[in-house]
Amino acid sequence: MAERLLLLEHRNVDGIDQIDTYEMRGGYEGLRRAVGMDRQAVIDEVKASGLRGRGGAGFPAWIKWNSIPKDRSRPHYVICNADEGEPGTFKDRELMVRLPHMVVEGIAIAAYATQAERAYIYIRGEFVEAALSIRRAVDEAYERGYIGRAVLGRADFCFDLFVHMGAGSYECGEESALMSSLMGERGQPRLKFPHAPLPVIEGLWGAPTLINNVETYACVPHILRNGGAWYATMGTKGSTGTKIMSVSGHVARPGNYEVEMGTPLLDLLDLAGGVTGGALKAVIPGGSSVPILPADRCAGVNLDFESCQAAGTMLGSGGCMVFHDRTDIVALMRRTAQFYAHESCGKCAPCREGTRWILQVLDRITAGGGRNSDIDLLSSICDQIDGRSYCALGDAAAWPIRASIKHYRHEYEHWIAHGRSPVGDAFVPPVPRRNPRAHTLSRA
Amino acid sequence: MSQASMVNIRINGTPLQVPMGEKVIESARRIGVDIPFFCYHPRLSAEAGANCRMCLVEAGFVGADGSVRMMPKPQTSCSLPASEGLVIETETPLVVEARRGVLELLLINHPLDCPICDRGGECPLQNNTLHYGPRTSRFVEEKRHFPKAHPLSEHVVFDRERCIHCARCTRFTSDISGDSQLGFLKRGADMEVNTFGASAYESRFSGNVIELCPVGALLSRDYRFRGRPWDLLTQESICTRCSNGCNIKIDHRAGRLVRVSARLNEAVNEEWTCDRGKFGMGYVNAGNRALRPLLRGEEGLREARWEEAMEEVARRLREADGAAAGVGGASLPNEDLYVWQRLWREAVGSRHLDHRMGPRFEPVAEDPIAWLAHHSMGMSIADLERARAILVIGSDLVDEQPIVFLRVRKAWRTCGTRVVELRPAASGSDAGSGHVRDFAALSARYRPGSEAALVRGILAAMGEEALLGSSASDALRTAMQGWTPERAAEECDLAGETIRAAARLLAPDGLAVIAGRELTHQAHAPQALAVLDDLLAITASAGNLAVPVGEVNAQGAMDLGILPDIGPAYTKLDRSGNSAQRILEAAGRGEVPVLWLMGVDLLNAFHDRALADRALRRCPFVVYAGHFLDETAARAHVVLPLQTSVERDGSFTSCERRVQRFQRAFQVSPEVRPGWLVCGDLAARLGVPMRYATARDIQTEIARTVPIYAECTPAALGDHGVRWALPSDSGPAAGASERPAGRAEA
Repeated sequence: MAERLLLLEHRNVDGIDQIDTYEMRGGYEGLRRAVGMDRQAVIDEVKASGLRGRGGAGFPAWIKWNSIPKDRSRPHYVICNADEGEPGTFKDRELMVRLPHMVVEGIAIAAYATQAERAYIYIRGEFVEAALSIRRAVDEAYERGYIGRAVLGRADFCFDLFVHMGAGSYECGEESALMSSLMGERGQPRLKFPHAPLPVIEGLWGAPTLINNVETYACVPHILRNGGAWYATMGTKGSTGTKIMSVSGHVARPGNYEVEMGTPLLDLLDLAGGVTGGALKAVIPGGSSVPILPADRCAGVNLDFESCQAAGTMLGSGGCMVFHDRTDIVALMRRTAQFYAHESCGKCAPCREGTRWILQVLDRITAGGGRNSDIDLLSSICDQIDGRSYCALGDAAAWPIRASIKHYRHEYEHWIAHGRSPVGDAFVPPVPRRNPRAHTLSRA
Repeated sequence: MSQASMVNIRINGTPLQVPMGEKVIESARRIGVDIPFFCYHPRLSAEAGANCRMCLVEAGFVGADGSVRMMPKPQTSCSLPASEGLVIETETPLVVEARRGVLELLLINHPLDCPICDRGGECPLQNNTLHYGPRTSRFVEEKRHFPKAHPLSEHVVFDRERCIHCARCTRFTSDISGDSQLGFLKRGADMEVNTFGASAYESRFSGNVIELCPVGALLSRDYRFRGRPWDLLTQESICTRCSNGCNIKIDHRAGRLVRVSARLNEAVNEEWTCDRGKFGMGYVNAGNRALRPLLRGEEGLREARWEEAMEEVARRLREADGAAAGVGGASLPNEDLYVWQRLWREAVGSRHLDHRMGPRFEPVAEDPIAWLAHHSMGMSIADLERARAILVIGSDLVDEQPIVFLRVRKAWRTCGTRVVELRPAASGSDAGSGHVRDFAALSARYRPGSEAALVRGILAAMGEEALLGSSASDALRTAMQGWTPERAAEECDLAGETIRAAARLLAPDGLAVIAGRELTHQAHAPQALAVLDDLLAITASAGNLAVPVGEVNAQGAMDLGILPDIGPAYTKLDRSGNSAQRILEAAGRGEVPVLWLMGVDLLNAFHDRALADRALRRCPFVVYAGHFLDETAARAHVVLPLQTSVERDGSFTSCERRVQRFQRAFQVSPEVRPGWLVCGDLAARLGVPMRYATARDIQTEIARTVPIYAECTPAALGDHGVRWALPSDSGPAAGASERPAGRAEA
């Protein structure tokens, strides 16, 4: 199966990041159509499309849109989550750099549908290029009257779009932590339903807030332009439309590939030029947080939410990482664990202490000091984090480790028994960390 | 919570009804189900909590068909609100395993130096580990190491290794004290509690974080390494460092006060203390305590036997023949004051008695109740929560009345009360955070002395903008006295708009006014307070004027008649005596044969030090009855050492007229006596025997003979005291109105 270019159709068009070119290619037509419709009709169109959130969880987008109160007794906010921090995922970055107007248009449609007066796009701090591109697009959209007072002549549609950059925290991609950060607080998650109202009722500054991923918003102009029913013809029944997969690792042509939902995983690897440097060993299909999928299980797995779930992994954010057969899984997991230990915000005990402990154990194993009990210990620590942490970061830290033990227990055993890598010379030792004991108090 | 709708929930199979939205951890407590926790605290925000994950339970909902759907993950019961059909299981294998796991994780980097930890023996982490924790640790890596004693403030030391990051201390500083001094730095396993830029932790309430800390991470400098909790004896007591009447617990060992902690009293301090109280009770064991009677001889003060000293004082009092004078008493318990004034009026036959240290000494007897309204609190501390607006005028409240400040802040934070702060320009230093101005809707500085004009201007603005009901218009016109906001603004050196804004914030009703020292210590205070009375009357809030006294028992001294022209319970005396000012002036002229100083360091307490000095020099016989060998005691002719509240039984009356008792914790020296015993002994020597065997006898007599204290019997005082009510308490005061007149509230 080939690519199905919808969002990325014009990605190589010169000047598509500028408003004239974008308009010439049908840009802002979706917004025009939306503004000509009743607000509820826009939401119904999104409902008909079957669009599910592209940030990782796959929650039906229209339910969020429709849950925003219809009255305006409080201000409404729209947030675009552009804090793309999931290792292996780089689709939002490309969308923002190359097709910023598509994102802006999607946000504008959402703002119209939910009667928001302010929209924020929270961009990962490292994405300077993307932020510049978005900022230029926002400026142009203001000039053309797609944002601001009385958008497209509709006096009852006024909204402002603010670009906000993060300060370098993976956790701030978690929607409640993102809102904490946006409100100027420490980037830590907030209480969620049923402990607190949903963001659509009480989100940013206690007001109804719609928050979606960049790719989700980018889908919306196409849905409005061509109709939700048309969009739903793509993909599978449960997962409609297209999905941008960021393919990286041991493939010939890493990059973003847009495919219809339900495309076989192995087709995606072929699109990316196939596995290089050896035979396929494993795939992490949806970003570093999702369970690893060994090669022998890849056949039959399709790129949609249901099929991935059935295979014991997740489509996640579409960060597809491919590993050839000389990859050391334990070292891979050590690197993953290092990421989560570094990015844990520290708020809750399981994640704060557990992620560091996992890393310490994996450090010891890959330094040749593994013990026979370590594999069970790692599983047990994962159990103590999974489902008990404050937010999903803890779960995301536990799942990959647990899956790797399930599928590659023999590699752990090899490390523990022999003190060296099962892949032999192909093993690349990790970059030494700074001395973890070199903690000093700021004012000692 | 009576209005809140009730919902049906089920905990471990037990059905119960609880208010909707109540946290499940509280609901479980109702039926005796214990859920362990570290970070949860009902007075701290839940938003920043739910982080220790110790209180995880399984939760589910009863569906429409009666089946129960459990949620896939365990939920934190400290943040889960009760709702209809909620099903909670607290003892499932999953929950037991989750608690065990959380404790293992909390302990992997905890130093487990319990044998030398101050918290050992009263540590939630120890206790929960014993009941719910793993038997052993599987952690073989190196623990985190940090310097053990990081000095956060002059009172608080931080042991970072022990911290479990529960955010109780950080939430206290942002939610309760409001100074936001503590926060988290860094993230993940490196996260640490610290101050911004590692500056000193400056707060008037820093001691509370020591008590809030569920481990031994935040420690008191005074108490660190000084004892084990199981070796300490605890006595419930009352703080003496100001008039707010904080309920405290005194931990002592071998005749020494070791530490002070807060005791719960919802009506007064809730569960907080200020640093002045928590770290300021050490005076009990101070080196300058007077521990033996002293008599002035040829070579200055020498130690004497009680008998000798008392006989000398009795002789002098006899010779003085009614010309003796007494000053002080505001720091001593009610029992001492009652017996002292009896001694003075019945045995010595003197009318010269005054507790006031100045600068104001107005006559009281003309209208004692009106006078009292300008020298006491019209409403209770807890009533502040029911005010719709609070005006703090002429006061750095957090410094003057720390616990009243916390209540004002709570009213603002939890009840949405509007707070206006007006203070004279160039008033004392109030640098740093954690003041009323930090949360006041309006904070302004007026020209010193212009309070009356300012309040008239506010009234005028209320009139101009028609902020009050029409019924108030006549009274308003009278009270405005031709003032306009602009004229007042000029007088007060403020913008007219500021005065109008204040008027809008303070109207229309439910107003409470707190007037502080910066106003009440001025000569024009009576006029300014009268205008504030007008403001309160016009906003249908009459009686809601709070002029909290300063010293611990100044209120009791007023109530029990330590004043020249009234007796106990504000009864007029036939002939009035001299005020403290007059007494000292007379003493300065050598006209006072015996000057009795009751627990007061006159030189440092009296507003006119030169006059005090002259009085001490010229008076032929100065009796100093008190706790310390201070500057004044050194000038006395006889020093009678008195017991502090820690060494004896008694009661104090707090600034909100709450009579609270305390009991003896320990003895400092057998040679130190309670004031009532000394006064009673002297009275007997002067031929008027007073048969009191214990402080309780006196409490009983006070309740019998002093009408306003009629309900303050020893039995009724209990643990939380009794507040005696003013006749005006029945007025239309906001909130205070539910109480019938003349009745005390427990």
